[in-house]
Parts: sequence; C-alpha cells; structure tokens
Amino acid sequence: MKHYAIFTLFVLLFPVSLESQDSRQRNADTNQPAPSFSLITNERLLNSDAEPQNWLMYSGNYFSQRYSGLDQINNENAAELELQWAFQLRALDRAETTPVVVDGVMYVTESPSNVIALDAKTGSQYWRYNHNLPEDLNFCCGRNNRGIAVLGDKLYMSTLDAHLISLDAKTGSVLWDVEVADEAAGYSKTAAPLVVGDKIITGIAGGEFGIRGFVDAYDAQNGKRLWRLYTIPGPEHPDNKSWSGDSWRTGGSPTWMTGSYDPELNLVYWGTGNPGPDWNGDVRLGDNLYSDAVLAINPDTGELKWYFQFTPHDIHDWDSTQIPILADSEFGGQSRKLMLWPNRNAFFYVLDRETGEFLLGKPYARQTWAKGLDEKGRPIRIPGTSPSVEGTTVSPSIGGGTNWFSPSYSPRTDLLYVMAYDGETTYYIREDEYIAGERFTGGGGVTPLPAATYASAVRAISPQTGDLEWEYPVQPRSTAGVLSTAGDLVFSGTIDGFFFALDGNTGEERWHINLGSRVHAGPMSYMVDGRQYVAIAAGNVLFTFAVKE
Amino acid sequence: MLRKALHAGIIGLLINGMIGSVPALSGQEQDNPYNTGQDIQSGEQLFGRNCSRCHGLEAGGGERGPNLRTGEFQHASTDAGLFAVISDGIPNTEMVGVGRNRSEQSIWQLVAYLRSLNSEVRVEVAGNPSIGEELYGGKGDCSSCHMIDAEGGRHGPDLSTIGDRRSPDELLSDLLTPNARVQQRWWTMRVVHQDGTEVEGLRMNEGTYSVRILDAEDNLWSFLKRDLRQSERTETSSMPAYGESFTSGELEDLVAYLYGLSRGIR
Ligand code: HEC
Ligand code: HEC
Repeated sequence: MKHYAIFTLFVLLFPVSLESQDSRQRNADTNQPAPSFSLITNERLLNSDAEPQNWLMYSGNYFSQRYSGLDQINNENAAELELQWAFQLRALDRAETTPVVVDGVMYVTESPSNVIALDAKTGSQYWRYNHNLPEDLNFCCGRNNRGIAVLGDKLYMSTLDAHLISLDAKTGSVLWDVEVADEAAGYSKTAAPLVVGDKIITGIAGGEFGIRGFVDAYDAQNGKRLWRLYTIPGPEHPDNKSWSGDSWRTGGSPTWMTGSYDPELNLVYWGTGNPGPDWNGDVRLGDNLYSDAVLAINPDTGELKWYFQFTPHDIHDWDSTQIPILADSEFGGQSRKLMLWPNRNAFFYVLDRETGEFLLGKPYARQTWAKGLDEKGRPIRIPGTSPSVEGTTVSPSIGGGTNWFSPSYSPRTDLLYVMAYDGETTYYIREDEYIAGERFTGGGGVTPLPAATYASAVRAISPQTGDLEWEYPVQPRSTAGVLSTAGDLVFSGTIDGFFFALDGNTGEERWHINLGSRVHAGPMSYMVDGRQYVAIAAGNVLFTFAVKE
Repeated sequence: MLRKALHAGIIGLLINGMIGSVPALSGQEQDNPYNTGQDIQSGEQLFGRNCSRCHGLEAGGGERGPNLRTGEFQHASTDAGLFAVISDGIPNTEMVGVGRNRSEQSIWQLVAYLRSLNSEVRVEVAGNPSIGEELYGGKGDCSSCHMIDAEGGRHGPDLSTIGDRRSPDELLSDLLTPNARVQQRWWTMRVVHQDGTEVEGLRMNEGTYSVRILDAEDNLWSFLKRDLRQSERTETSSMPAYGESFTSGELEDLVAYLYGLSRGIR
C-alpha cells in the first residue's frame, strides 16, 4: 500500500465553475467526481446569487431574500417531489435550523449548540461537534440554534451559553471560543452570525431577563471583539432620555435574529426586540429607543447610521427581530433601494434603506391596537389597548402577526411572502422587580378562545402598494419560514407537520406531504451533482426532497 | 474488501424513550460507596463490555458516544447524577441506561471508573515542557497532523486539551505505540472510483452505502460504495512510532508539553 504521509500541502482549487450550476467542482471535460467544499471568500459571499447550487448563509444571500435561483423544481414538476433522505437530530427540542450548503457539504445545527457536517447528497455524516454547556444554564427562550455562518474554511456559531465559537469547516475542531455576554445574567445566543468582510457580526438574546441588548463585531481570525453597539444608548446620548429614570439599564431590546447587509451602501441592518419589562410600560415611560426598531449600522465602525422604530414604547412583546428583507424594486415610479418588513405588530412596512425614510405601512394580519400609521410611520394607538390587571384582549397575539421565522422575497414575482397569523391575546400587567438572571416581564398573556379559532396564512404582498396579491390559508396555524425559488414556487409548513409547495404567482397548491411533526424552521434549497434539493426541519428531523429522477 | 457496517436499530432507539425527563436521584449528594481500586478495576471491565462500543475502549469517545474522560459531564455533576445517567439513560438519545435492575454495586463501580479517568490531582512530570514544545513544532513535525489552538493539520486528533484527557503514562504510550488503540475515525482508506479517480486519506465516516474521506490535501470526499471499483481500509494509525527517533529525555519533554495542554492551565 502506498504510504500516506505528506499532509500539510494546502491546495486551493480555484476558481469554481459557476456556470455548471453544480455544487462540487468537477473536471468539466471528464466529469469525474470531485471533492466537496472549497474555500468561501468574501467575493463568493457577495456574489452568492451566482452560485445558486450553494446556500452560503442563513437567509440565502446578504439581502436575506430566502430566494433560491434554482429552477429545476418548478410548477410543472413539483407534484413529483419525493423524499431523498432524512437526518435524525439527537435533541428532543424541535429544530429551528436552516442548513448551510457549501459545494456538497451541508452544515446543520442541533439543539442546544451542536453542529453536524453532512454529505448534502446522501445525508451521511462527515463530523459532529457537541458543545459543552454549563449545567445550570440560564437561558431565555428555548434551547435552540438556528444555523452557522461560513468564511474561508471556518464556521461561526452562537451557543446557548452566550458564546461565539469558530470551528474548522473540515473537521469540526474548535478554533476559538469567546464569551459574548454572561449567561448567568440571562444572556443567550441562538441565531446564525453574519459575515461581513473579515468580521463576524452577531446579536444577543435575553429580552425577558432585563438585559441591555447590543450588536457586536468580532475578528473572524481570532474572535477578538472589534466593536459593540448597544441597542439602548447610554446616558451620554440624547436618545437615552426616551427611558424614564434608570429603566434603560434593564431595558432589554435584544438582537436575537440575524441581520442583512447591503454591500453597496456598506450598511448592516439588524432588528431589535421588545423593551423590558415586556408588558409593564409604566416603569419605563418614553419611546424606549432603540427597542422594536431596525438599526442601520456601519460594519467597519459599529456606528449607527439611522434607525426606524416600528413600535415606540411597546407593551405587548412585539419584538422587531424579523429578518430584514432588502430588495431593489420600483416604488413611486422609481427604482429604489427598499427594505420590506412584515412586523410582529401586524403592519407591513416599506422603508428606503439608504435613509430609513418611511415609504409605506399597512396591516397584513389582524390587528386591533392602532388606527393606522402617521406620515412618519408612527402608529396611532387606539386607547384602551394596554395590558391591564383584569386583562385586555388585543390583536395581534403575543407571537405577533409574524415572528422570527423568515419571510421571503422573489425578484421574479416581485412579491414578498410572509407567514401571517390572525390571532389575539388577553394581555395582563403586573409589578416585577429586577433580579439579575431572573425573568423580568411585568405581565403576560393568554389566548382567550380555543386555539382553533385562529388561523395563519401565507400572504403574498406587493412592495409597491402593500396590498395582498393572494393568500394561502393554513389551519390550525404555522410558525414556519418561507422559501421562494426561481422555479416560481413558494415552500412553507404548518404546526401539524405539513410541508407544502405553492405557485408563487397565484398561491395555488402544487404539492404537500405530512412529515409527522411541527415545522418550525425555514426551508432552503441547493444542488449537488446536477440535482436540486429542498430541505426542511420538522420536529427534530431534517428532511430533503427532490423530484423523481 | 469492505466490511459492511450495519447500524440497524439506531433510529428505533432514537424514537423510543422520548418520554421522561433527565433523571435525578432523590439522594442527590450521595457519595459513591464502591470506590476502592478494586471497584475501579471492576468498573473498567464492565465498561469494556457494556459501554465501549459507543464511548470507545478507554472512554475517550467513539463514533456513537461522547468522550467521558474530560472530567466534566453535560448531564451530571455529582456521583449520584452519574449513577442516574448510567442507570436511567438520557431520554431521546442513544444513551440507553443499564436499568435499575442491574445491581447498584456495578453501577457505582462504573461511576468510580469514570471518575478515576480524570482525577483532579495533577501528576508531576519530569520533562521540560518548553523543550517539548520545540520538539513538537520542530523535529517531531507533530503539527503537520495535529491541531493545537487552531494551528496545525487535520490528520490526527486535536490536541488543544489533550492534558485533560490523557495521563503522562498514556501520552508516552501514544508516542511509543500509536497503533495500540486507534479509533475508527483515524483509520485510513484508499478507494478507486469506477472512472479511475483514486482517493486516499482518513476515513472520516463510513456507512452501508457510502464513505467519506479527508485526503492528504485536506479535500473532503463522499462516495457511494456502488460507484467504487476498489477500496482498501487500513486500521492502523498513520502516526509514526517515536521510540527510535527521540531519546527518552526528549520523549519526557514532549509528554510534559502535551500534559500541560489543559483547559484548566491555559
Ligand atoms: C448505544 C450507544 C451507547 C452505549 C452502549 C452507552 N452510551 Fe453512554 N452515551 C451515549 C450517547 C450518544 C451519549 C450522549 C447523549 C447526549 O447527550 O446526546 C451518552 C452519554 C453518556 C453519559 C453522559 C455524558 C455527559 O457528558 O453527561 C454517560 C455518563 C454515559 N453515557 C455513560 C455510559 C456508560 C457507563 C455506559 C455503559 C453502561 C454507556 N454510557 C453506554 C451512547 C451510548
Ligand atoms: C502522520 C500524522 C501524524 C503525525 C506526524 C503525528 N501524529 Fe499523533 N496521531 C495521529 C493520528 C492519526 C492519531 C490517532 C490514532 C492514534 O491514536 O494513533 C494520533 C494520536 C496522537 C495522540 C493521542 C491523541 C488522543 O486523542 O488520544 C497523541 C498524544 C499524539 N498523537 C501526539 C503526537 C505527537 C507529540 C507527535 C509528534 C511527535 C505526533 N502525534 C505526530 C497522527 C499523527
């Protein structure tokens, strides 16, 4: 047997053949098998739309459109979708992960903070990383992890104990592990980080624990923190006056999802969560900046360029941590750089993402709390809708008109697709004392009528008008993200375990299957060896589908 | 020829036992009543028979179960907690407990064995760690295969915290007799695809229908076995034995360096 001894030679196999639409590098003449995974450069991340066979970040591309450029699966053949493989996660917690695929290697995260590298074609494992957590971990809102980020030959992941770690993409070896915040004080991390240049940008969870939220940037090479932008400005800043007394110190405003990036404007966009305590606004009078807002941040410095607050002085827990969708489309007869935002407060917003100017806002889900939005986009509240001791019933529900699960935008149909929920909650207020590391919410809520009274729908909304183009009702309801594709299909799922495909133009159903457990994650699509797949987690299993060969 | 590795029943195990919570004993703080050297030895034997197929021969971690030598457990901190994990298992994982019917004594002996793998007491070592570090990066060229703190190769285990996992004696035997215990993750493989493509490297993972390899240039490969014309597997370590190329003094220095690679120390 030949001896196997010289190892250190590091061969870079560039460039990738983009035309082949193939996720591995093949010798074009001989079509011989080729290795998986090749280095992810910033160039590739910036041009991710040019390699639709891969899914290089949580939301698919920097505009977070959750749109796949693949069209092998389309309205003609979607009815022939069938299961290719399933991967059983070890954790009981239902998966919220979106896999990332790099040239035939799929990276899946598993609760609480583990990563598995799989062959994307067969679902067989390359390696697994299990993260050790402190035993008496104090985390906020579910033992979840939603995905990784990749740059070079390194992966980046948030962990439930509020660390950020880097792993070797080929073996899962830990390269560095830094504490982002103190888990004992209620900070935790579940979202996929965002790679911008040589920085890893990431947020924090813990809005129910009286934390003070922030967005951070770390050096991709060594995990050194480069900047931190607090989502609640300190007393040196005039906006700090939007909090009565010392309430800003425990004002929450977490950043528990992933942001988006516009390379041309060099701005990162990040949503912020509810002010704390969630339901008792009396102890934090004022607008509570920058809670329930979108922040436009210069990634080089961490400087806040502009902000837009969706729900000033929120008292219903309507986090604005949705994924910011960026789209270049017509508005008012002009081609503009837009941001599309179906918010948890049940209004759909169109903003100019260069300036933060409010362009349009309309309800897209049932709401009873605001008469509408004024010309600046500020909600006009209906009196008597605040949480009360005896309970006040208001729409949307605590879970909101939508929540963290991703919407999608298709540049082909120029429609925004969102999973909307027409629910309501009876909101209560109570007094709460801040104790570090304990829940600090000032109230709560219950659903007044049987859950079956309410329903969800996939809604297709026009960015130009905010009007509903079509809807696909979902009964009983859904907490699933949405994927749109160049095959003009829209994929999503339901809490009773259905996964389905719709015609993106009309909302007509093309296919569905029952996966046996709640779909509580976002779908994605990729291609290996010339074949397109769609993947979705349901319960604690990851499923992949393709059309019959 | 390839031996077919059949892992039947894994999915079944994963789906069973979803009900129930992480076990806790009433006598949380109970100390281990079976903790003599004799008990540890019995525990080691029990471990070899019942547990090593998942956790590896010396509890260092295998394809199906985690490393139990680090001294830290995700699911237990006390001896009583370990007792509960071993007897009741961990719901919804492959870790199925041995059951409460098993004699308490044998479960306590397993606990004693696991505890013995990582005694808090750090041993004094004779060698000079800074000379060891030089040998590691220089003459030994160990970093061509091993990673320490993100630096080095991918063709051997990450050694960043090896001092937490291996005693000085064990480290010495790792250097003298690398073939004494080679986990499947470190076997090597050479395959020839139908069309003649030949790939040789570490066998990262293998199943009934497919195999994954990390080749010498650090490329990841995945093959369906039905597409392979030929395949050979080598179940020995690719690490050379260092008994001859190093003096015993140098070996001591290397061991001192490796033993110092510990989470606690750095
Ligand atoms: C079929 C494979 C399998 C067998 C056999 C097995 N284990 Fe496990 N064991 C696992 C897995 C998988 C885990 C990790 C579960 C998890 O946390 O996901 C585990 C976890 C553990 C843990 C907890 C580790 C921690 O960090 O908390 C202990 C202790 C343990 N096993 C001891 C044993 C002992 C002792 C035996 C033999 C009596 C044994 N196991 C047999 C698969 C196995
Ligand atoms: C050609 C690659 C290669 C080189 C060079 C090499 N090793 Fe290894 N080493 C391995 C592999 C593969 C294993 C795992 C299989 C085994 O136990 O032998 C290993 C195992 C080890 C282990 C046990 C690790 C564990 O997790 O139990 C130690 C310690 C070790 N090597 C140290 C060294 C040192 C020190 C050197 C340099 C003097 C060295 N190695 C050089 C490939 C290599």
